[in-house]
Amino acid sequence: MRKKAFLSGLLFALCCLQVFAQQKTVTGKVTDLASDQPVVGSTVSVKGSNIATQTGADGTFSISVPGSAKTLVITSIGYESQEVLIRGDNQISVLLKTANSRLNEVVVIGYGSTTRKDITGSVSSINASTIEKVPVISAAQALQGRAAGVQVTNNDGSPGGNISVLIRGTGSLASYGNDPLYVVDGYPVGTSINNIDPNDIATIDVLKDASATAIYGIRAANGVVLITTKRGKKGGLEISVNAYNAQQSKPKEYNLLNAQQFATLSNQVEAADSTHTYHGLPIWHTPSALHSVDWQNALYRPGMTQNYNIGIRGGNDKMQSAMSLGYYDQKGIVLGSYFKRLSFDLSLDYQPTKWLKSSTNAKYSYQDANTPFGTGSLYQLAVNPPTLDSGNHQTTQIKDANGNYGFYNPINPNVFKFNNPVYSVETNQSKNITNFLLANSYLEATIFDGLKVKTLAGVNVNVFSASFFQPEDDREAAQYPGAVSGTAYYHQNQSNTFDWLWENTISYDKSFGAHTINFVGGISAQKTTTTLNGGGGIPPNSTIRDLAQLRNLQFDQFGNGQTVATLESQFARLTYSFSDKYIITGTVRRDGSSKFDTSHKYGVFPSGAVAWRIKQESFMQNLSWLSDLKLRGSYGEVGNQSPIGLFQYQALYNGNIAASVNGSADNLGYPFDKIYQNGIAATQPANPGLKWETDYQTDFGLDAGFMKGALTLTADWFNRKSKDFLLTLAAPAQTGYNYITRNVGSMDNKGVEIAVNYNGNSGRDFHYNIGVTFSSIKNTLTSITSGTNAVTNVTTGLSGGALAGQGWDQFSNSVVGGPLGEFYGYKSIGIIQSQAQIAGLNSKAPGGIYYRAATSAGDRLFADVNGDGVVNASDRTAIGNPQPKFFGGLNLDAGYKAWDINLYFYGTYGNKILDYVESDLESFQKRGSEGVENVSVNYYNNRWTPTNPSNKYSRALAVDDNTLNNVPSSAWVQDGSFLKLKNLTIGYTVPPSLSNKVMMKRIRLYFSTQNLFTITKYTGLDPEIGTQGGNATLNGIDNGTYPSSRYYTFGLNVTL
Amino acid sequence: MKKSTKIKILIIAAFFGLGIQQACKKNFLYQTNSLQGTADATFNKPADIISLVNAIYDTYQNSDLLKKCIWYRANFGSHDFFNWGGDVFWNTYQIPATFGGVTTLWDQSYIGIARANSAFGIIQKALSKGIIDVALANRLTGEAYFLRGMTYYYLAASFGGVPLELSAVTDGLTPRSSRDSVFRQVVSDMQKAEGLLLSKTQLPTADLGRATKGAAYGFEGAARMWLKDYAGALTVFNNPELTSNYHLLPHFADVNEFTDQNNDESLFEVQFDLPQGGTQDWNGSWQPPGGELGWIDSFSWPEEITQQGYDYGNPALWNSYQSGDIRKLLTITGPGDTLASPGIIAAWGGIKGYPPVLSGYQAYVSSLAAHAADATKPIDTADGNKYAVNTNGNTVAGNIINTTGSILHPWFGSDHGRTGYFCSKKWRDPNLTGNYNNPKTNAAGLFGSQNQILLRYAEIILDRAECKVRTGDIPGAMADLTLVRDRAWGGTGKSPMVMQDSANYDGTPGVPITDPLQMVLSEYRHELSGEYSVFFDLCRAGTDVAIAFIKSANGTVDASYNPIPNPAPGPTHDGLQHGLYNTTLTPNNALLPIPQGAIALNPHLTQNPGY
Repeated sequence: MRKKAFLSGLLFALCCLQVFAQQKTVTGKVTDLASDQPVVGSTVSVKGSNIATQTGADGTFSISVPGSAKTLVITSIGYESQEVLIRGDNQISVLLKTANSRLNEVVVIGYGSTTRKDITGSVSSINASTIEKVPVISAAQALQGRAAGVQVTNNDGSPGGNISVLIRGTGSLASYGNDPLYVVDGYPVGTSINNIDPNDIATIDVLKDASATAIYGIRAANGVVLITTKRGKKGGLEISVNAYNAQQSKPKEYNLLNAQQFATLSNQVEAADSTHTYHGLPIWHTPSALHSVDWQNALYRPGMTQNYNIGIRGGNDKMQSAMSLGYYDQKGIVLGSYFKRLSFDLSLDYQPTKWLKSSTNAKYSYQDANTPFGTGSLYQLAVNPPTLDSGNHQTTQIKDANGNYGFYNPINPNVFKFNNPVYSVETNQSKNITNFLLANSYLEATIFDGLKVKTLAGVNVNVFSASFFQPEDDREAAQYPGAVSGTAYYHQNQSNTFDWLWENTISYDKSFGAHTINFVGGISAQKTTTTLNGGGGIPPNSTIRDLAQLRNLQFDQFGNGQTVATLESQFARLTYSFSDKYIITGTVRRDGSSKFDTSHKYGVFPSGAVAWRIKQESFMQNLSWLSDLKLRGSYGEVGNQSPIGLFQYQALYNGNIAASVNGSADNLGYPFDKIYQNGIAATQPANPGLKWETDYQTDFGLDAGFMKGALTLTADWFNRKSKDFLLTLAAPAQTGYNYITRNVGSMDNKGVEIAVNYNGNSGRDFHYNIGVTFSSIKNTLTSITSGTNAVTNVTTGLSGGALAGQGWDQFSNSVVGGPLGEFYGYKSIGIIQSQAQIAGLNSKAPGGIYYRAATSAGDRLFADVNGDGVVNASDRTAIGNPQPKFFGGLNLDAGYKAWDINLYFYGTYGNKILDYVESDLESFQKRGSEGVENVSVNYYNNRWTPTNPSNKYSRALAVDDNTLNNVPSSAWVQDGSFLKLKNLTIGYTVPPSLSNKVMMKRIRLYFSTQNLFTITKYTGLDPEIGTQGGNATLNGIDNGTYPSSRYYTFGLNVTL
Repeated sequence: MKKSTKIKILIIAAFFGLGIQQACKKNFLYQTNSLQGTADATFNKPADIISLVNAIYDTYQNSDLLKKCIWYRANFGSHDFFNWGGDVFWNTYQIPATFGGVTTLWDQSYIGIARANSAFGIIQKALSKGIIDVALANRLTGEAYFLRGMTYYYLAASFGGVPLELSAVTDGLTPRSSRDSVFRQVVSDMQKAEGLLLSKTQLPTADLGRATKGAAYGFEGAARMWLKDYAGALTVFNNPELTSNYHLLPHFADVNEFTDQNNDESLFEVQFDLPQGGTQDWNGSWQPPGGELGWIDSFSWPEEITQQGYDYGNPALWNSYQSGDIRKLLTITGPGDTLASPGIIAAWGGIKGYPPVLSGYQAYVSSLAAHAADATKPIDTADGNKYAVNTNGNTVAGNIINTTGSILHPWFGSDHGRTGYFCSKKWRDPNLTGNYNNPKTNAAGLFGSQNQILLRYAEIILDRAECKVRTGDIPGAMADLTLVRDRAWGGTGKSPMVMQDSANYDGTPGVPITDPLQMVLSEYRHELSGEYSVFFDLCRAGTDVAIAFIKSANGTVDASYNPIPNPAPGPTHDGLQHGLYNTTLTPNNALLPIPQGAIALNPHLTQNPGY
């Protein structure tokens, strides 16, 4: 400690030596009003100039100021800023108050920063202390419920987190078309930031309205998330260690039949089958002889997460550096799944002279992730028949003590389509490794006071490598003469993305009396090159993975090659403020993109905003209950080009593919005289008119503070009109293509978002904070240009693939005038109870059949919606809106002496869920295939039988394809509203007197739990169901994705 | 100059450097695609243009389209065969508009039509650029017209009127045209093709399988018959391109044999060739590439032999073959029948050589214990085969037999849900073993290289006979029928003078057929069952004609949707249901539903009545 003090003293002395003759030096100390602790890293600047310094580890500062300087402004994140007059003694003591009104909070706004009070657009901010409270894997998770208007959904519970972020609703229908742009330390990195360790993040600023985002032009329509990572601070050294260990419970399970119940059901179905076409396995006729297997028990396990991050940050006046090393290791709750990340972050800020500054960042991370069953439709493994009897002669268990794996009878059609998933996950090997490098550097020169030029260059590199090996499996063939062996297979693929960015900006910030001008303008170029290749074949044995030695080695049919995307841009933003009351901002960006044809290469995206700080007006000064009031208004146009791939504007041909391709696609060729000849076919039509989506967004907002800033309110009303939204749409086959990318139509998102925060202090020992965010967004499809009036879902975009079962290729229909992704199906009105009832319906039906010829008592009764006497596809109707009426978060923070507590609730209201899983748990038939599968105990007990005339559950059938009871219908639609306690944390900070004894500034221990409870009427496992693949037509469908469960976390935050 | 000033100037210079770069590198925003090519980059030599047309043929290499729709329709529609498995709604004509096979037929057909439409322009451009010569341009253009016309033929035959898409660029929102308009388009396309295609005699061996003039005449005639232009059709059928270049093979057995593909009788067949190393198991998949590379004929074989048995025969068809008709066992076999295919006998010796028979067909026999009916007859005395129950009471072994099931133990399948009769016309590829391991390849034998004949000369002769009946030339019609029937009885003059089914669906003796049209229809059934024609040919004669014919042949009952016991005496006449259906065809059900997905994407499409 003494050495540190000496070093800082020396630095201090050195600083004093550099005094210019006409200047004077002001020194002082900044302290937290509440705790008396020094405030490290607060900014001390001369008002009206850009002369600034930062406080050191002991809170002291020294700044050389012109003789004319009158006032110093002290700002620090989380504190109210203070202005201090420079008096004769040049020794200043500043007590900073924890920010209530957040008015002077620094907000990053893209190509610059400002303070909360000067903002004209709509921006939500989250800082490190909030992120620290909840163990999260990525910055996106930290946003949930904390930023109004931002809907964050954990789409599933897979390691690594599959999280979707929607800012102000859905503006695009395309898969992955609604992700915001993430910008890390000034570098636009795209739509994912999983490679950034949240512990390294200092602030997250979410730009929401078009005025705020327009500076990012063609990539801005879905909002922009600006991530600022922690940097070294002037003066001294800070070492921080953050560590936690989280235990994750097994997920909730479906209550399914055991072997005896299952066989009994099979026997009952067999006995009731009037067509005598269903016969279960012979051994099923003796249920008591069967051995039960529990697939959920075998596949689910408790998970564990370890996370460590050590950071060393510090520096002197000229140079500041920060480094951190992070390790995240999650063992998932589904067998074989994990996510590991090793990250390394280095930053160096160097100011060799007063007018020249450089800053360099390098972030590297290594990721190793695996989800052997994928993340979609995992429940399908749960419904495998609960007995393996009559399969493997060696064992009827999933895996016995000798290491033998059970398998299903490979030649009986009731079960031969089922596999033992535990065998495959424990036998196959797969690797998915990604290396990320994000490095950038800028040089900034102050030409004269207020005018700066800056050049920034960087690279973003992503190297992905995957391999998969499946050994030969001849166990079934060995026991069943003629049964087919599983062949060995090895496959490898790689993709490398190299992205570079070069940006030059010029800025001018100056105050003239009551006038303040902030200008930034610049030019930018970015180029992304992606190289892909892969191939596979049959290895000679189980140890050789050398591609050169594989038999039947083939390159992947698609995806070997290179793509290049480029973007060149010019942009400018001017903010003018008068008397701290009236603020006006204008922004424009012109983007040129290689994604579009000549006539649509360039887009111009303008925006403007005004703000009126009414509270500053003299007539408001007497309102003591109102501490602040600002009105904002903005309008802007921003673009979205992310929904489509490259070269969509060109007519493209594909072909010359080998006859025996590796992959699921068509080879296009054809044999003549038994000799294969190549084929070539068009894969997409020319579309020179293709252009980006444009959002026209209007925003009115107010920021108000009450009770001396203890209570704050931010409210925004917005209208986001999205035009020309891009969609790769299922095309009428008549076009010759299954899918065509087009500018399809337009939609509106109108909404209100409100954030309320109350900061209460009761004496020095107790303080608390209550934060509420509330968002309500109404989404309407307003037009479709392709000649239809509706957009149907594309089930291939679902995680886990298309849904099996008759009719499930279409379950949502977005109709002009209605909301996106509205569920679509038959209206279920009960269960048919008698043949007489069927006869009655049939007698009135033209053609003599009301619904299906095979309909019998116990089948589902659907409404004849159009009243034509029969039920067919045209009786399908809207059966529920998956979009919530509102969603929001409630955050409670409190601290008493050394203790702190955080409770964080998240909820949605008014959204519907289409429960495909339930439809499957009520289907004895293996959906869309041969064989039978497990059902729920609830269905088994309550299903319709002649003696149990249920009006809710249809009869059990071995084949549903004739009766079509399980098609998409209102029977599967449920209220999806929920309130979830996402987080509960209790922390204890060791008193400084104690921690100082062990030479530590701060030691905090905490225990937290996530997903402790959920209040919901939804009967499925988890109502938190997102928009799959970011596709709004695939919203709210519960197809049994990777489950989520509770976490119990012990953690430690230490600052040295 | 001060040093700091110099550095400032340098920085400002660097700042503008990017601006200069942006201004100079205009191509920065024009990048080249290395994954796929534009037309100009792709079509530079004759092989490229040929490849373009090959890809139109390729649309027919599709199991969903060819098997699950066209073959199903041709054979389930007439109730000569039934489905087992996931598509049993075909047995009662209750085909949902969501059925994947119908969707694929629609989608894949229009993709083929679009490929043809886009080929015309590219071929012309290649011709004008000198990439190909006139002869090749003509041939390729002719092939594109033929394939478009043939695709519209099957679309109109299946769905009725469909949208006519005739240009390379379309928004795909065209409404349906009338059925007649579509068939007129078929006539027009075929006429263009006739003028451009090579004659069969000119076709190089390497191009075997390509469309020829003769094939175009064949489909033109068939389309004219749908249009009731029988005189016009007759003229077409009498064209020397058909009458001189195509012949009935002397032996009926050879027509569908594996070793006789692209034979002298075949006008057009969809080509299949499983490539070296190509997968033959389910990993190759029903969908492409599996169903595209190879053809899945074992789909129809008994479950006892393949674990498949997804379609099976109607005993009424088996009963109906007139005594002495050698087509019978080459089309449908039942309990106690041997296989007659020369190729199969050469390769396996018949049923007895197949792996599951050699291993006691455990899958089948082990299932017998589940059935009380079998427990009562453990010893098969009729054919000397034995089925023994072991001490566990549920595992049994069977002796080797050489018939498709035995008289006492018909092959009803493990669930007893099939009739015991099978399509032997599709049992010709000796390389197939179904889901069982083929000891010769040590892999499953699901997919093979058997071409699928869509049109052959025997059908042309029968078509011609119908045209003659329709135009009043009864003697001519009879002469044509005799041509086909003589071969079925083994040679000229061998066919019986009187046409009559041996037995009706209920086992009662058949009566002589005297009505000339009914004679032709009966010959369609007996000559072409198990191929790709019968139901379409019946409906072409008239929906009411088809309904009446199927009713009479199979004893169908209105609104009967459950399986019935086989009414005819014989080995499967046990009073139990074995997947035999007797649903009456209705006028509505004579057309397939327009796929629900197609209507969702093109709201101008109207659904067919009754769906």
